Amino acid sequence: MNDLPEQKETTLSFEKIKEDILRPMQNHKGLELWIVFLITVIGVCAWAYYVQLRDGLGVTGMRDYVSWGLYIANFVFFVAVSLVGMLISSILGLLRINWITPISRIAEIIAVAFVAVAGLVIVLDMGRPDRVLNVLIHGRFQSPILWDVTVITTYLVISLLLLILPMIPDLAICKNELKKTSPVLKKLYNILSFGYINTPSQHKHLHKMIRTLMVLIVPVGLAIHTVTSWLFAATLRNGWDTTIFGPYFVAGAFVAGSAALIVAMYFFRVSYKLQDYITDVQFDKMGKLMVAVCLVYLYFNLNEFLVPGYKMKTGDDIHLKELFTGNWAIMFWSSQLFGNIIPIMLLVTKKFRKPLPIMIISLFIIAAAWIKRYVIVIPTMLHPHLPIQNVPENFVHYYPSAIEISVTVLSFALALLIITVLAKIFPIIPICETADNEGIDYKIEA
Amino acid sequence: MKNIIKITASLFLIFTISVSVVSAQSWSVPNSSKKKQNPYDTSTKNISSGKKIYNINCKSCHGDATMGNMLPLQPIAPSDLGSQAFLMQTDGEIYYKVNKGKGAMPIFEKTLSDENKWMVITYLRSFDKNKKVSKKIAEVKNPEVSDVKLLLDINKETKSVSANLTGVTKKGARVALQGIELSFKVKRSFGYLDISGNDAYTNEQGMVEIPFPSDLPGDREGHVNLLVKVTDDAYYGEITVDRIATLGVPTDPVNPLDERAMWGTRANAPIWIIVSYVGGVLSIWSIIFLVLFQLIKLPKLAKTEE
Repeated sequence: MNDLPEQKETTLSFEKIKEDILRPMQNHKGLELWIVFLITVIGVCAWAYYVQLRDGLGVTGMRDYVSWGLYIANFVFFVAVSLVGMLISSILGLLRINWITPISRIAEIIAVAFVAVAGLVIVLDMGRPDRVLNVLIHGRFQSPILWDVTVITTYLVISLLLLILPMIPDLAICKNELKKTSPVLKKLYNILSFGYINTPSQHKHLHKMIRTLMVLIVPVGLAIHTVTSWLFAATLRNGWDTTIFGPYFVAGAFVAGSAALIVAMYFFRVSYKLQDYITDVQFDKMGKLMVAVCLVYLYFNLNEFLVPGYKMKTGDDIHLKELFTGNWAIMFWSSQLFGNIIPIMLLVTKKFRKPLPIMIISLFIIAAAWIKRYVIVIPTMLHPHLPIQNVPENFVHYYPSAIEISVTVLSFALALLIITVLAKIFPIIPICETADNEGIDYKIEA
Repeated sequence: MKNIIKITASLFLIFTISVSVVSAQSWSVPNSSKKKQNPYDTSTKNISSGKKIYNINCKSCHGDATMGNMLPLQPIAPSDLGSQAFLMQTDGEIYYKVNKGKGAMPIFEKTLSDENKWMVITYLRSFDKNKKVSKKIAEVKNPEVSDVKLLLDINKETKSVSANLTGVTKKGARVALQGIELSFKVKRSFGYLDISGNDAYTNEQGMVEIPFPSDLPGDREGHVNLLVKVTDDAYYGEITVDRIATLGVPTDPVNPLDERAMWGTRANAPIWIIVSYVGGVLSIWSIIFLVLFQLIKLPKLAKTEE
């Protein structure tokens, strides 16, 4: 990882790093406006959820055939994006890859926000959310749903710890530097800095804990998306009944998560003026990583569709023809092209790995990844093994209702709000780790 | 001679025109299909099974054959399939129409098997007065009766069930009713199993005796729910008798929910899956708590250094 020829030689001092990173937390008008905007969106969409709560799930487009609609597709997408935390800060972190230092916290924040909202999306999909605890009280060990609830909760907790623990030294700095901040935040910094003053024993102790969690999150992260895929793969339905669904979902999650991270990196770089930290190197490396995960995902897609497509067994044939040339062809092929094939072709070129082009490509990847989840969930539901005769017209088609779309927008706004708030109250770039990387000595006062 | 030629020519002309007009208005069947022959012979058994299929699939619209009690649909009512006007057609024509359907007539190409379709045609052909080869279903030549009774006798020794159908004539005498088809059914988990066999028609004494299948499971004591009815309600209305008979093979019911299995309740989950779940949760969460516990130590470490 020493092939960084174009890395700018900056003369960073600890003071400058501190100032650059803490500045947007203290004074950033745009950020506050953005928060107000998000809260407004959430407020409006919360009304849609209230209508759903009052009148029941009949207000959605879901009927007897498609009982998993937009919400579940969205849930899978959120779980997928959250996996980036495990990929970047854990897998690459354990490999001691240096360029991830400035972006690992963004990755972890995305992970926390998206997995928290993913859990919430499931509750939003329930007609009787007051019964959510029954999943744990009466849950069967044989059911992937119990495993999913468990593993999502676990992943959220570990992700939160992996966000906070590496941040402890930075929070100790925040406690000392941000004198003008609100008393609530001061108290938060005080508690979460755990009296850290960067003594060698504290440093060693802290990093031992972080490394433990980094190892721990790998199986949990794999489990979260594998179990989510089992929600589908454990049923005998065409399109879901496949053995590679676990790794297929994980590979897809790496693509979606990396794209989300690139977009977030770009916006923080521009909005927080962090060009010295989130440099072109990070985008370049992320671009290469993106090509790698896209290639893996492409390989899985090839297996997932080519093998059953070659055999076209009864049942599968209807499903696959719908995807390849039928009603779902546009969504299917656009998700494959824009989310996989074209990004690979573009990102192998260096100039497309510059911040702006790669950010735009990532936006397409995110949209395609979302559509891909939709195409995984709904077409299968539209073709039940035991079709009922003379069903009403609205059983055999599925169009999300305005309420459903609003509640989905709510989930996105909520995830963005969590990211924004976390980025507002916590330093988005690890101050101390950056200093460590640059070989700058620093002291944290008590 | 000339006249004869003229007459035959004009008759021929009228005939062809009328045929073409008729075929234009009604249902044209390709010539190749018309020639199709019924491959099944006109046995009582085939007629009887054809009647059963007819009652299930055709009767709801076409009514009883020869009785003209079809549904009065508009603009075209379904034809009486026992009428001579209908039976003028060849087997192939009827077969084609059953297959293809038209208007309100459904398409039976996929819903009925070929054998079933030919059975129905065999049954309908039994009403055809022009077909000399056709045997008729034993015609009911019973007197008009009231108070029809169906009596059931269960013989445990020979493992057979016999039923006796009688009615009271106008003169007040109870007489046997013969040539009536009875259905013998045994209740199973989902609906009834027909054990009537092929020839469950009452004899001169109004009796039918059928053997009870030797391998049919009953409950722990071998009890089965037996139901006997006059197959065709059209004769005397719905006449049924049910009885609990000790003819089944005594069987201890196996509840698939009693064993440990993937489909079981939570209490009956397979051990390995409980161990995996509980083990996984315990090990992961114990590490999490261990880390949290270590976290509390962090402030103390600062003091010891000082």
